[in-house]
Amino acid sequence: MAAVTVGTSSGRSAGRGIRGERRAEMLTGLAFVFIPLLLYVFLYFGAMVYAAYISLWRWGLRGPRAFLGVHNYEQVFGDPIFWKAVTNTLYYVAVWVPLTMALGLFLAVIVNQGLRGQTFFRAAFYFPTLASSAAITVVWIFLLQPDGLFNSARAVAGLNPIFQALGYTDNFNWLGSSRTAMNAIILLNAWTTSGTVMLFYLTFLQQISRDIYEAAAIDGAGAWQTFRRITFPLLRPAHFFVATLLVIGGFKLFDQAIIAGGRGGEPSNSLTTIVLFIYRSAITDSEFGYAAAVGVVLFAIIFTLTLAQRRIFGEAPSW
Amino acid sequence: MRQPIRAVATAAVAILIFSACSSGATPSPSGGGASPSGVSTPVSAPASAPASTSAFDPQSITGTVVLSGWQSTGAEGDALNATLDSFKTAYPNITLDYQPIATDYPTAMAAKFSSGEPPDLFYVDSSVAPDWIDQGVLQELDTTAAARGFDTSQFYPGYLDAFKGPDGKTYGYPKDGNTLGMAYNTDMLTAAGIQPPTNWTELAAAAAKLTTGNQKAFCLSHTLDRALAFIYQNGGSLFSDDKKTNTVDSPETAEAIKTYLGFFQNGQAARPADLGDDWCGKALGEKKVAMIFEGGWLDPFMTSSFPDTKYAWAEMPMGKEKATLGFTVSYSIGADSANKDPAWVLLTYLTGPDGMKKWTEGGIANPSRKDVAPAAGKEVLVQSADFAKPWSFIPGFSKVSDAFNNAMTTQIEAKSDDPAPVVSATSSAIDTALGQ
Repeated sequence: MAAVTVGTSSGRSAGRGIRGERRAEMLTGLAFVFIPLLLYVFLYFGAMVYAAYISLWRWGLRGPRAFLGVHNYEQVFGDPIFWKAVTNTLYYVAVWVPLTMALGLFLAVIVNQGLRGQTFFRAAFYFPTLASSAAITVVWIFLLQPDGLFNSARAVAGLNPIFQALGYTDNFNWLGSSRTAMNAIILLNAWTTSGTVMLFYLTFLQQISRDIYEAAAIDGAGAWQTFRRITFPLLRPAHFFVATLLVIGGFKLFDQAIIAGGRGGEPSNSLTTIVLFIYRSAITDSEFGYAAAVGVVLFAIIFTLTLAQRRIFGEAPSW
Repeated sequence: MRQPIRAVATAAVAILIFSACSSGATPSPSGGGASPSGVSTPVSAPASAPASTSAFDPQSITGTVVLSGWQSTGAEGDALNATLDSFKTAYPNITLDYQPIATDYPTAMAAKFSSGEPPDLFYVDSSVAPDWIDQGVLQELDTTAAARGFDTSQFYPGYLDAFKGPDGKTYGYPKDGNTLGMAYNTDMLTAAGIQPPTNWTELAAAAAKLTTGNQKAFCLSHTLDRALAFIYQNGGSLFSDDKKTNTVDSPETAEAIKTYLGFFQNGQAARPADLGDDWCGKALGEKKVAMIFEGGWLDPFMTSSFPDTKYAWAEMPMGKEKATLGFTVSYSIGADSANKDPAWVLLTYLTGPDGMKKWTEGGIANPSRKDVAPAAGKEVLVQSADFAKPWSFIPGFSKVSDAFNNAMTTQIEAKSDDPAPVVSATSSAIDTALGQ
């Protein structure tokens, strides 16, 4: 922007002040971004403001029915299912984000070793990300059926005594039990998302100068020491970037939950996430005001957490 | 070069600002002027509803009617198209525009209701009927029926009552209906040397005999849309008759839940998911269980997926009284429909004796009218409608059923037959729903 301004003003005739010139330039710039800006303002910002407005009403299928003020919010905070949804979502984020980051980093470091067939592995690890979440969740449901591949495989592998000791029967219903359903979804998503995370980490890994590794090698650092002391700390911007993306994505968990657990987040609301709860309030119960109130609360949670993350990882890095 | 670009760009800005201002007014909420609509908005009776009964001639009605619903199977679509064809022949003055909805039905309909442009005539599942009546999106039909002389007395009350609002008025006519019956594997019962159980005592005895090796006596769903039949059979209930009082906390309800949970506790019953199936019909087909409690939707499934499994229907075993659940779907007219008159003609054809006969004669659905004979083999399920209670309660009922289902899951996983946590969870959910 600045460069353009300097370039144009230098060749202008006298008579019009620099100020007017700047204004005209700004208008030109604005004209170019106007349509995207307009879409953004109405479709994103406008929708957010409208949702906040709706959340103050009892709002049904045919629009507003009664003004409630903050009553919807009081209801939300007093609703045990809402708190169950919050707990489930927090648990999901707390387990899934580190797990996916670790898995993605692990894959990235391996693929970055310059092994033969690196391109193949990179594609192979990234592949699950490309599958539609609906399709892959259905495949996952099949795998985890009581008579599905997973239970058969552990029987063949002779692992059943270990599972029995942990309290899981031979034909345990992993997605049908409130003890394990969320963990099954966490594993599924850690697997499918780790490919993307790997790509992010790879990009950052390839920016780390070879010189540093050479210096470390000369000083006699082992593989683990190199990773622990050099690679991991230098990836700090990557950690921030990936963690922010995953936390936001984690709070929006919906499709896998509704496909595996239905609208009710079965079994026993163990798959009811905040977004599924919003969907249920709006679509099943036709309580759009209530659903909007939950949406505003979700926005507040994500916003706060993103700010907190910036604190933890420092300012957003300039990559 | 630069000058013209700037001129164009400035003009573009001006135009966009203008259009933004004018369009800005449209999406903004109706604001202060928005009088809370919904139930309070009176739904106008069809404009041309004449005062005298004899004056109404459906053949005089012209116009277009948009019909929407879902389709479960291709065979269902064929049967409906055949019925609609006969309507077109009978009423050539009305143009019929059938727009089935392939995506999630409640979601799609919520969008259409919100935009104020619903289809003129559409399916309403009995379970969402109270919510949609409460939201004021369905047209009340009694006024028109009285004015135009449409007789509703032939509908089974167990179906028709599902579409009555708290004002006692009717908001839809059942297009067909299903009850729960007992489907049993005839070979397994013969092998055990028993007849299909007709009451709870016989049911318990049969369950013991039919549980052998890997075979369970029943596949039972933990959900309220099955267990409630047993609660009713034992004299229990969820609501008072006017649906204004919570009555779930009774010894009858608790005893029925205890019996139901007992079948899981003693290993005679399993949930479909625990058998590796998505529903009990599949477990029956795969010969994993001897008895299930389902409805007429089982028949086409068994014919196509498990033609070799022999099964038959019997009435639900009776407890202290005969009871089962009635599941039904109505045709209803949109409150915001612009074509209520042609919609009424189509509605009364499809739910009248001729249309319903055409629709049900192939056995794809069971009639909801007493004056339409059931297809062969459907007698048990059709006649059970005499003692069926509708699966339709109050607005916000989905939370009640969620609470019940979740509490049942917890008890089944804990292998407990204690009904108290189920009753108390359901009771507090009912209180919440009633309080809204």
